[in-house]
Amino acid sequence: MASTTFRVFRYQPDSGETESYHQDFNLDHEEKTTILDALLRIQNEQDGTLSVRYSCRSAICGSCACKVNGKTVLACMTQVEEAKAESGSAMVQVDPIGNFAPIKDLVVDMTPFWEKFKAVKPFLIPDGPAPEKERLVPKAAMEKVAKESACILCAACYSECNSLAADPEFVGPAAFAWGYRFAADERDAQRKNRAKLYSGEHGVWDCTRCMFCNERCPKGVDPRDAIEKLGAIAFQEKVTKDKGARHAKAFLISMRTGGKLNEQLVGGFTDPVGGAFNAPLALRMLQKGKLPASPLTHKVKNRDQVTKLIKNVKETI
Amino acid sequence: MPRQFAYYPGCVAEFSSKELNATTKALAPLLDIELLPMPQATCCGAGDIAEAKPNLYLTLNVRILSEAEEMGADILTICNVCTLNLRRANKMVKEDPRLLEQVNGELVKAGARPYQGTIDVTHLLWYLATEEGLSLLEQRGPRGLNGLKVAPYYGCQLLRPSSVMGFEDPDRPQSLERLITALGGEVADYDGKTRCCGFPIILAREEVALKESHVALSGARDAGAQVMVTPCPLCHLAMDAYQRKTEQLMGEEYSMPVLHLPQLIGLALGMPTQTMEFKRHFTSMDEVLATVGA
Repeated sequence: MASTTFRVFRYQPDSGETESYHQDFNLDHEEKTTILDALLRIQNEQDGTLSVRYSCRSAICGSCACKVNGKTVLACMTQVEEAKAESGSAMVQVDPIGNFAPIKDLVVDMTPFWEKFKAVKPFLIPDGPAPEKERLVPKAAMEKVAKESACILCAACYSECNSLAADPEFVGPAAFAWGYRFAADERDAQRKNRAKLYSGEHGVWDCTRCMFCNERCPKGVDPRDAIEKLGAIAFQEKVTKDKGARHAKAFLISMRTGGKLNEQLVGGFTDPVGGAFNAPLALRMLQKGKLPASPLTHKVKNRDQVTKLIKNVKETI
Repeated sequence: MPRQFAYYPGCVAEFSSKELNATTKALAPLLDIELLPMPQATCCGAGDIAEAKPNLYLTLNVRILSEAEEMGADILTICNVCTLNLRRANKMVKEDPRLLEQVNGELVKAGARPYQGTIDVTHLLWYLATEEGLSLLEQRGPRGLNGLKVAPYYGCQLLRPSSVMGFEDPDRPQSLERLITALGGEVADYDGKTRCCGFPIILAREEVALKESHVALSGARDAGAQVMVTPCPLCHLAMDAYQRKTEQLMGEEYSMPVLHLPQLIGLALGMPTQTMEFKRHFTSMDEVLATVGA
């Protein structure tokens, strides 16, 4: 047997509690007990008003994501004793997932998450009339989207996305993992339209590459990698007007013309219009020697190899 | 016999943030490290080339690894982004012999040396934050930081994804804290130390990026830090060069000087301040220098 103090986030606006707080519950439990089992025992034995969203208890339904000692996990697949060992603390703090408004205790309002999910058109849109039988797909083609197909929409990625914390309109990692799953499906006929739909403000180029989504996903979906692949699809479909895509283009030009980054080019090429508003900063950077005064490229030795690679290497996205 | 590394400073340290490159080069002999130049090495693509042309990203990075392999030395980096891009490419080809074969086919066709998969990529922070590294610093008899209150700032890509980086717990990193303490500084702890600085999107989505860097800057300030230290020159640009813009956007004042990791060590070891080129920083270093008596 083990004993643990759970410090649980409480918020009950319907009962007149307008402020949230943390409440401690002590529980004796078996060594092998999950956070979800512990929360349900607290609910059954100590406080029936504690609200937790859950269903399958088997890491399939994606309902019970919460923050355990600050880190988003599925409550049903996290052992209490493991969480304690990891944090080095005898206490376990449980909070609702981040980047959402709480409704009651650990239950949050998922509406924005589902709206964004719907907005990426997370379904197959094939061309032409439906075939008599199913559309057959070779195994290798489905392997391309196997990782993304494992997403259970638990929002663990969304919970800690740093771009979302700064811009609540950002579509976010889970929806884009689904976007890639269909954009890269060879039965789908909307590849270019999807590339357009996913670019623009709050789209794929808003991802700040904090890598929290890859770190937190309990299913190994690696949503950041899916966003990266959507970028590559945008390039393949020549949907590259977005400032984010232009930023990537500037790196390709730098590579082609010298092999190393040309800072002046990256700044000017990414945002030739808006960049003018940054003139005071650019001037100070020039004064501090942080921008080169000349647009000369930086050339590496054996640059012909780089030129040949740029010419020869084919993309297979 | 000094430990030899194939030195990959990355584009930002070579050009925009020359002070980082200069300090690292001055520090290396004090730490018994020999930095071997890599004249053929290109940019790692900073995640941007991976986002536009993933196969090209992989091939260019394996070409860099191959140059180090030919030199017979592991790669030493001083930038989070370079570290992630090189390590990721290395992991991909080391774990998939067929992929390595394909990439090598392209390299050979372009006249470049094929890679055999024998090289490791490490960051200066990782090299120093081991028992061996810390005892090396102790042997150098640091003058010390005189209790300077330092906020460690890791940024993202030296910690996550841990499946590629793997040096320490990405949620409870301690390497910078160990160094700060060993050098006689005091750690100013705060939640924002593992959050994003926003730099990868600062040119395309400036406002989002600045709101991100605000989390770390305000956290460090509220923890009473006199200075932040970072192992990444991109984080440094976001935190230092853009700090004034973040202050204007958020209507707050941070007045937070930011040190590159080698500068923190240089200060503690009594390196001349001119060598570390603080004049290239945006936020004044005066209080920091006064505290450590430099």
